[in-house]
Amino acid sequence: MLKELLGEVDRADYLSMSRLATQIGQPISLVEEGLEALVRLGYLAEEASSTCQDLPCGRCPYASMCAKDSLKTWSVTEKGRSFLDRVR
Amino acid sequence: MAKTIALVGNPNSGKTTVFNALTGANQHVGNWPGVTVERKEGQTHHNNQTYRVVDLPGTYSLGAFSEDEVVAREFILTGNPDVVINVVDATNIERNLYLTTQLLEMGTKVVIALNMVDEAEAREIHVDEKALAQALGVPVVRTVASRRKGLDELMAAAAATIHAPMNGHVELSYGKAIDAKVARLRAFLAKGDFPYPQGWLAVKLLEGDEYVRQMVSESSALFELKTFRQFWDETVIHAGDLQLDIVDGRYKFVGEVTKHAVRRPEVEVETFTDKLDRVLTHRYWGMPIFAGIMLIVFQLTFAIGQDFLGEWMVVGMDYVGEGLDRLLVTLNAPGWLLDFASNGVVAGVGAVVEFVPLIVILYMLMGILEDSGYMARAAYVMDNTMRAVGLQGKTFISMIVGFGCNVPGVMATRTLENRKDRMIAILINPFMSCGAKIPIYLVFIAAFFPTHGGIVLFSAYALGILVAFLVAKIFSKTLFKGEVSHFIMELPPYRTPTLTNVLRNMWDNVSGFLARAGTTIFAVVSLLWVLAVLPTGAEPYGPASILGSIGQFIAPIFTPAGFGNWQAAVGLFSGIAAKEAVVATLGMVYAGVEEGAALVTAIQGAFTPLSAVSFMVMTLLYTPCAATLGTIRKETGSGKWALFSAVYAFAIGWLLAVAVFQIGSLMGFA
Repeated sequence: MLKELLGEVDRADYLSMSRLATQIGQPISLVEEGLEALVRLGYLAEEASSTCQDLPCGRCPYASMCAKDSLKTWSVTEKGRSFLDRVR
Repeated sequence: MAKTIALVGNPNSGKTTVFNALTGANQHVGNWPGVTVERKEGQTHHNNQTYRVVDLPGTYSLGAFSEDEVVAREFILTGNPDVVINVVDATNIERNLYLTTQLLEMGTKVVIALNMVDEAEAREIHVDEKALAQALGVPVVRTVASRRKGLDELMAAAAATIHAPMNGHVELSYGKAIDAKVARLRAFLAKGDFPYPQGWLAVKLLEGDEYVRQMVSESSALFELKTFRQFWDETVIHAGDLQLDIVDGRYKFVGEVTKHAVRRPEVEVETFTDKLDRVLTHRYWGMPIFAGIMLIVFQLTFAIGQDFLGEWMVVGMDYVGEGLDRLLVTLNAPGWLLDFASNGVVAGVGAVVEFVPLIVILYMLMGILEDSGYMARAAYVMDNTMRAVGLQGKTFISMIVGFGCNVPGVMATRTLENRKDRMIAILINPFMSCGAKIPIYLVFIAAFFPTHGGIVLFSAYALGILVAFLVAKIFSKTLFKGEVSHFIMELPPYRTPTLTNVLRNMWDNVSGFLARAGTTIFAVVSLLWVLAVLPTGAEPYGPASILGSIGQFIAPIFTPAGFGNWQAAVGLFSGIAAKEAVVATLGMVYAGVEEGAALVTAIQGAFTPLSAVSFMVMTLLYTPCAATLGTIRKETGSGKWALFSAVYAFAIGWLLAVAVFQIGSLMGFA
């Protein structure tokens, strides 16, 4: 499942848990768990976007004015890339 | 002696509820030795027998990634529990069973408490506990610990398991190659003296568990064997992707188990979000749809904010101004103070504050988009364009942050690892229309384009993005060359915006805006007022004042752009301190010349529609504010880049403003 998931993430334009779940025929909770495992194992990198809340904005009154949605981005790491190259 | 039951489970699986329900008041809390992880123990009784119950830390796995994991697995392996009750959240069963597979690998006696079955049923997740028990080889008991349901049956199963022979004889297969390595390693490990099951140790070694590796590497008995040393170097140290195969083996096992034992509605069903995303994030339609939505937001902002609410604030500010005047006259305040209050504070700060209704509506609508999950789509739609101009998609995230304020926008570029991406993202961020620039657009829209406010505001935002993209493209081909890295953005499901979130978002923005008006803008206006009324003898607010002299010195630069008057020049000059100060300064200098003159009326006399557009282009693009320049200096670690940003942005703003005015004039626009 993890290898399949890694391949799907690599092919995807964007990440939708429900779409990945449909593609690999597993429930969303398992897809989420699988992605976390791939991050833990170093095949994927996950990063929540830095919003104001994460930044040292001090007492700037605009500190809370930025986008509050935490946009998550994912990337296939070098380890993940070399694995995919080997299995393809 | 009391038998020991260990409770293990994922965080939020209801494990502690089970513990409390079993032990009641018979519990005590301490710490596990050597760590700060909480240790809870208690006693329970079943069929006249007393049992010691140990609540292990909640964990998703039994690796060595955290203290919680190590504490839990050490107790299971070396604490000699007579049985382990694995509390499994039935609503999230696949995830919870990953931990179960690791318990089975340990070869310990396990009973599963299938908890929260009521919630699972409510969500149409049906778990066949008999099929689950058969697949796992351990007893499974349905429980609802919060209502004490199934706990007697759970204790009965635990008591029976304690006295029964070993259960859980499920052999996980990780594939032939790995299974062979595990078997070989087990044979080696039998020659050592380890306090752990050999099968578990073998799997953990191949999985790269540092804790286990360290322990085994200290075994001189094993390392005396040449064959083991060779196996260790080739297979354990250079394990390659064995870890992935092993973890994958566990997930496959979980998948197989749940395939037969769990029925849930959402498997392989395309969700509403997916269907909507096929349209909203479409390769070709996504961008026009995004532009259309933003245009609607800006049009609604003017339709509601200006037509319904705008007058209230103008009347309110007039009332405040008159009240302040009356108060100061009553108190026999000196003339200079009256002038400062009326023409400095009320005209200057008031000119900014009058636009609060529009800002309220704009941020309320943006809040709805944000809370619905659409803004993540907007970022994704722009992501493709970002890549086309040689930037990675994540850059747009810092640009979105920059729509609030460029200072955190510049700081948000810290998430970009690559220097090329980061430098470009820093240098283009000030082109984003931050909240402070909005009053400038609004005052000129009110003066010249009151019926097309939405389109003009939309154009200002769009122009900023367009210029940012063009500059990024040029920089990525010249100053900062390098490859574009690939990122995938996660799109969260759509959700119905909640009133609380939308109102909170709106309040955050408006309060920030008002706080700035009361602090930075007040300070800038106070300073400029002093410059506008000095030297004594010169006509206050006139060209001979210090402010007027500064304006006259700068103004000729802007003559080709159509706004070569000294008032516009000092407005732009003060905007380098803070962008809101542009409107505050204009409000002050025009109000001082003609007592009580409305800023909008004064601007109509000083600008033409064409020069107004050219001025808006200039304010959108020219030199960033002092706070942003300071942040650029800090983030790039160089004053040179801050200076570069100040100069090149001014040049771009000036060039485009001149182009707008000159081309517009040639085309016959006034």
